[in-house]
Amino acid sequence: MALNIDVIKAGLETSVQDFPGRYGFWEQGFPPSGPFDMWSFRLANILVGNAPEAAGLECQFMGPTLKFSDDCVIAFTGAEMNATLDGETFPMWESVAVAAGQTLACGFASVGARAYLAVSGGIEVPQVLGARATFHMAGVGGLEGHALKDGQSIAVNGGAGVPGRKVKQDCRPKIANGKQWQIEVVQGPNDDWIAEEGIERFLESEWKLQARSNRTGYRLEGPEWIFADKASNKGPEHGEHPSNILDHGYPVGSINLCGQTPIILVNDAPSAGGFINPFTVPSAAFWKLAQSKPNDIYRFNRVSVEEAQEMRRGIDGLCVEDSIE
Amino acid sequence: MKFDQPKYLPGGDHFILVQFGDDASIDLNFMALGLTAALKEDATKGVVDTNPSYNSLIVEYESDDISYADLKIELARLISGLGSVEDLELESRLAYLPAMYLDPWTRDCVADYSEKIAPRDYDPDFVAEVNGFEDAKQLARIHSGTEHWVVAVCSTPGLPLMRALDPRCAITSPKYNPPRTWTTLGAIGVGGLSSSIYTTPGPGGYNLIGRTPVPLWDPQQRLPVFKDRVVLLDAADRVKFVPIGEEEFEYIEARVADGSYEFNITAYQRFSVGAYKKWVASLNQDGRF
Repeated sequence: MALNIDVIKAGLETSVQDFPGRYGFWEQGFPPSGPFDMWSFRLANILVGNAPEAAGLECQFMGPTLKFSDDCVIAFTGAEMNATLDGETFPMWESVAVAAGQTLACGFASVGARAYLAVSGGIEVPQVLGARATFHMAGVGGLEGHALKDGQSIAVNGGAGVPGRKVKQDCRPKIANGKQWQIEVVQGPNDDWIAEEGIERFLESEWKLQARSNRTGYRLEGPEWIFADKASNKGPEHGEHPSNILDHGYPVGSINLCGQTPIILVNDAPSAGGFINPFTVPSAAFWKLAQSKPNDIYRFNRVSVEEAQEMRRGIDGLCVEDSIE
Repeated sequence: MKFDQPKYLPGGDHFILVQFGDDASIDLNFMALGLTAALKEDATKGVVDTNPSYNSLIVEYESDDISYADLKIELARLISGLGSVEDLELESRLAYLPAMYLDPWTRDCVADYSEKIAPRDYDPDFVAEVNGFEDAKQLARIHSGTEHWVVAVCSTPGLPLMRALDPRCAITSPKYNPPRTWTTLGAIGVGGLSSSIYTTPGPGGYNLIGRTPVPLWDPQQRLPVFKDRVVLLDAADRVKFVPIGEEEFEYIEARVADGSYEFNITAYQRFSVGAYKKWVASLNQDGRF
């Protein structure tokens, strides 16, 4: 059964993503891309009977309006985007049968920021460098390399989903509108460029998410950084400002200190550059970044490498069939 | 300075940064690229990606397959197997890339910055002056007089971070502050100790001294050279710029557009770090072209 989804309205930067994204090409300058909230994304796929990796849509802040050419089963997870199916309220975190000709219309995200739409069978776009994930800055992957545009048509593989399946309440990420987030961080790799009182200040302060934030980087506003002596007494090859270092690779999730502005480097971030990274947000906390909005407040909670890995295993353990009722 | 023992630093839950030293000695990049090759040959369980740079290598790993502690042990084992830097032999190709130095397009880009963001002199004049060259023409002679070592391919798809292999052709220059908001595609820039070629028309901070008409990556894999790859260069390859004029630039540009352009790239050769270092030691390094 060939199914097409017509894009009536594209929404704000709606893109095709797959899990975990594009791997094996980092050393050629390609970031991983992939869904920002990998927890909600995988659960959407599992709801409609897909492999958790299958390609789906990431909707950001303002979701799309989509018309389905044929019967299918879909699921919507993540942020609350007040979706309707032919005018009727569309339930989140649940697989739903859609009939040929029906239209799903999303609004603005009222709780959270990113929603994920899975279609039984999965979205069919060509693999580029082993992945269907969109890296729009380079025009790679997804639907013709970019976010959806009005009037495009999305091909879907044939699939047999079952409607009425729900994600158990305690297996979902706790997306709320409290505007306050506890974000885990692992100290390093360049924490020795920050003075001890600077480390403490970072961990004790509130950091406000700036509007100029996207899938490349999350800019934060907060107190001044206090650098270690090393940051000022260094070879000229490292550059002038204390936050400059000789070009080096950037871990995905690293908190990149650009002058006094920390930028969390996320899914589509550059792979290298000349600024220090005193802390790194581990993958288990990415869903919180994905679901927060400009002006939300972060407080950072230091964890060990092993604790961060255990947290990720905990989330992986929820992205399974057992989470469905 | 090269550290007695490499430093291992965590990057969140699935990255480790291996630092071989804390300066820009090219030996440290040779070690990072030697370790990259060793990881590939060893097919170390749990290693999923690598990202080398001047004096370090980031390794991405799957913690379900290898713990952070065990990964450190494996990395130390592979590093000790590399021996001394002089023993390294790295797989390397030499790519001849056409370059129009002092071209009109990057001149326009610099003028646009100067008009809209911050006044500055023509970049090639500025770089020539801070390096004590006679003029921009000497800068072009020096820049095209050496093979450039690809330290890493990073930041944006296919973008090579390069440094001159011939120390007599080393060029250093301060980067733009604030950076440009756009850059001519194919622009050849110099900044810090590096040279680079812009593979996307985005922002940048290097001083622009020329432009190449050939693409360094092609997601459509249209040209024959991209049959089995999307990106032209890998770390440890070398680039030699071949100066061309505007007429030839346009000729090559047309051949790229119609899909008939043939790149001139050698087969893989063994780049011996020991032989390279002997050659460097034999040079009168004060000489300039």
